[in-house]
Amino acid sequence: MIGDRPMPPISSQNTPDKNQITRRTFALGAGGIGVFGVLAARLYQLQVLQAENYRTLSDNNRFNFNMLLPERGEIRDRFGVPLARNSQNFRLVMIPERTTEIEKTLDRVSRISPISPRQRERIEKDIRQNPKFVPILVKDNIDWETFSALNMRLHALPGIVSEAGQGRTYPENGVFSHVLGYIGRAGSRDIEEDSDPLLKQPTFRIGKTGVEAAQEKTLRGASGKLKVEVNARGRIVREWPDPATRATPGKDVWLTLDAELQEFAAKQFATEDEGDDSGGICVIDVITGELRTLLSMPAFDANLFVSGLTQSDMDRMNNDPKRPQYNKVIAGGYPPASTFKMAVMLAALESNLINPAKPVFCSGKLRLGNRTFHCWKRQGHGKVDMRDALKQSCDTYFYEISQVLGIDAIANVARRLGLGRLYDISIGGGIAGIVPTEEWKRQRLGTGWRTGDTLNASIGQGFVLATPLQLAVMTARIANTIEAVMPQLVIGQTLPNFEPLDFDPAHLAFVRDAMWSVTSEPGGTAYRPNPFGTDPSVKGMELAGKTGTGQVRGISMAERASGIRSNSKLPWKLRDHSIFVGFAPYDRPRFAVGTIVEHGGSGAKRAADISRAVLGEALRRDGLGDASAADTGALK
Amino acid sequence: MVARGGSFRGAVPASGGSLTTKLFEINWLLPTLVGVLGLVGVTMIFAATDGVWRYGALQHFVRVGFGALVMLAIALIDIRIWYRLAYPAYIIGLLMLIGVEVFGVEVNGSVRWLDLGVARLQPSEVMKPAIVLALARYYHDLPSDRVSHIIGLLGALILLALPMALILRQPDLGTTLLLGTTGVVVVYLAGISWRVIGFASLFAAVGIPLFFKYGLKAYQQERVLTFLDPTRDPAGASYHITQSKIALGSGGVNGKGFMRGTQRQGEYVPENRTDFIFTVIGEEFGLIGGLLTMGLYMAVIGVCVWLSLQCKEMFAKLLILGLTTTFTLYIFINLGMVMGLAPVVGVPLPLISYGGTVILAVMGGFGLILSAHLYRGVELPRSG
Repeated sequence: MIGDRPMPPISSQNTPDKNQITRRTFALGAGGIGVFGVLAARLYQLQVLQAENYRTLSDNNRFNFNMLLPERGEIRDRFGVPLARNSQNFRLVMIPERTTEIEKTLDRVSRISPISPRQRERIEKDIRQNPKFVPILVKDNIDWETFSALNMRLHALPGIVSEAGQGRTYPENGVFSHVLGYIGRAGSRDIEEDSDPLLKQPTFRIGKTGVEAAQEKTLRGASGKLKVEVNARGRIVREWPDPATRATPGKDVWLTLDAELQEFAAKQFATEDEGDDSGGICVIDVITGELRTLLSMPAFDANLFVSGLTQSDMDRMNNDPKRPQYNKVIAGGYPPASTFKMAVMLAALESNLINPAKPVFCSGKLRLGNRTFHCWKRQGHGKVDMRDALKQSCDTYFYEISQVLGIDAIANVARRLGLGRLYDISIGGGIAGIVPTEEWKRQRLGTGWRTGDTLNASIGQGFVLATPLQLAVMTARIANTIEAVMPQLVIGQTLPNFEPLDFDPAHLAFVRDAMWSVTSEPGGTAYRPNPFGTDPSVKGMELAGKTGTGQVRGISMAERASGIRSNSKLPWKLRDHSIFVGFAPYDRPRFAVGTIVEHGGSGAKRAADISRAVLGEALRRDGLGDASAADTGALK
Repeated sequence: MVARGGSFRGAVPASGGSLTTKLFEINWLLPTLVGVLGLVGVTMIFAATDGVWRYGALQHFVRVGFGALVMLAIALIDIRIWYRLAYPAYIIGLLMLIGVEVFGVEVNGSVRWLDLGVARLQPSEVMKPAIVLALARYYHDLPSDRVSHIIGLLGALILLALPMALILRQPDLGTTLLLGTTGVVVVYLAGISWRVIGFASLFAAVGIPLFFKYGLKAYQQERVLTFLDPTRDPAGASYHITQSKIALGSGGVNGKGFMRGTQRQGEYVPENRTDFIFTVIGEEFGLIGGLLTMGLYMAVIGVCVWLSLQCKEMFAKLLILGLTTTFTLYIFINLGMVMGLAPVVGVPLPLISYGGTVILAVMGGFGLILSAHLYRGVELPRSG
């Protein structure tokens, strides 16, 4: 203190104040030191006692893990032909924080590459809902010329970044669209069901339908991580590369299908004046169950779904009476019609109630109570035994024997042949079809089974429904003799061993012989010599099969009376479905086919023609034809 | 400038002398400590702005320098002038606050600034030394037996309540509380009786909850509530506190090193150039840096208290202690806020936080303290 000099006298007024103010100053000072003590203690608590905890929190702040998207696996046919592959996808993204003129910029982009009002709406919504630094997709799948044009003007498009990303293309002309399905951005339901954070990435695509969806796990791969240091607004400050966290690309999926055969089959559906016929065809290996062709017609271009459908595309597809999006080969339930007769026949043989040699007289119709059941041949077939009944497809014969067998015995055989059940060929979307029983009708319709129902079922009409796939499986089992063949689409998918078919091989041989007579004996409904043409590789091969004509409407009495049943004169929608099942070669079965052509022209001809062509092509491509031709050649 | 004719009591300090002589008689410890704190501010602002001088560090340096000149100029001016200017200064401050009310510039939702054309001024900062001047003079003039008298109390209450009400309207809760507490401390030091203190405490116990309900804006209530329960709004109000604590805590004992604070680099702590600058100190220099900073502040406060003890006049004592109280409260509220012990109210860390008016006000205040000490031998009149 400087107070070492003599102090002046202090006024009396100030005396009590001075001591008091000093006391109170010290009291406050002590309080102040106390507060500093508390603050210091708090600092100690934060920086020493809880330092570890806060260091972790600080690192949590500091580091983000950015997801690296895996490359999606490709889908190939049995020979490795790519059916779905990844391609360069030229696209434009906008980073909103880099521009103040979002509207103007989008207008300018639109002048070079039009942005539809719907796209525009989506872009603006994305911009609103994401942080400003997140790139928002403006346009993708831009063709190269437009992309170059946009790149040239990029300087006038603030906030726009052009990039070449991963796209998905389906090169095979749409004939695999139903099988492959397509990919798209994950919806809210997908995200609910699948916790993989990849789904939340705006540029990530998942399988929506078909193989793309069913094999999603294999195709997707696993995301990688990129450790990045970010600031409070999420902007990356720096990257911390770490090779261990690269994305794992998805695995390729190989299908049992044969791309060229599928293409060939699709061509067979073309008509001269009505575009592609509507329907489905399935070619199956009778030994392994591998599907060589699984085609629904008309095809559609799945690439449209990836790039985003325009309204007119959508309308055209939805309004098309041939329903191109509908996967008829596995999801189309059709009355199998006369192709069901093999099941009835086999049931008869198995039952031992019917003597196949014993003829039945067909007068063209059968009276049951006050109802009349007609044979397709009005004038009747006369006396027919079992083999002839199949060969000529005599309805009356089956009406007769089915009454003896009863529906449940027929249904039992039909099921064992593979009808009425859903096959998981891992593309989803199939149906089980219907093999009716008394129990089924009671539960489903609440009414009792009537004999008339059995008669209808015996010719594959009424309640019976099957898909082309099921018909192919049925035929494959008949041809296989020993095992209950199951269809397979994805190579490497582990299938349970086939169960024994458990029919008397002699009975099956009898059925096959009858089917042979249909296609190979004069008088058969699908008779044609040299069914696969005269190509040396298939010449001499024999086809066994069965035709069917699926009724889509009741036939009026007037029509019957006038005899007008010519399909071609009816409107498309009212014409019968044309059905064919078959297998070849007859002596050494290799492939079975199930074909349905919706409203397919006159009788069973259309489906039989397509089946013959496709089976022949399958045999040619299989190489078996060569060996067989060489064998027969050598024998001669 | 100083009236030479003033009567000096005794030889302390050595008679009048030239300005140069006076300059040597200033207690230089205080300006040195203040200067060091100002330089700490320059360094930390430099770090907070990622090492870009022109984002604040340079301005702060210039302001500290200018503030030092102002401080010394004020210090050299005779205490009697300040005594005479006490009420005028108060009235000018009051008028400026009213001016804010009328012509104020809005920043971040509250009107605190007065645009003077050349510079923007924050009148509430001017009011801080002004209220101390006014109260010091008021109690200097008030006979000690009247201090606890109802009239004596009323006078002080009016002096205090007017600026508080105006600042609260801006709204600026932090400054209001700071001003009020300073006033209460001055009244306490002036010798108010314990009976009155008891009554006032009782009144506060009832008044504060009422004030909370009716006197605070919704956002201020929210801040207080969030302070009491930070989970109320993890992304909003308590984000400040949480990120601030992370910055401090992750600094540990030694800190992450100068310019190496990751919380700072990531811009996680908002306002870390101004009110939250202590997070930069804590993160980059750790507990050591934090305690050293607090030590510097304690030294400044200690020196001020020591200077007050050497003064005899009531005006000088109350002036020094009042201004020191304001300075101390700045520190307490700011550090408490940064460490998550006090609500988030906009109170800067004096001399370190970026902000022009605050530096001028604080350094001007130190000028007054130095002046009161320098002229401690001067007898002040007592106008009833």
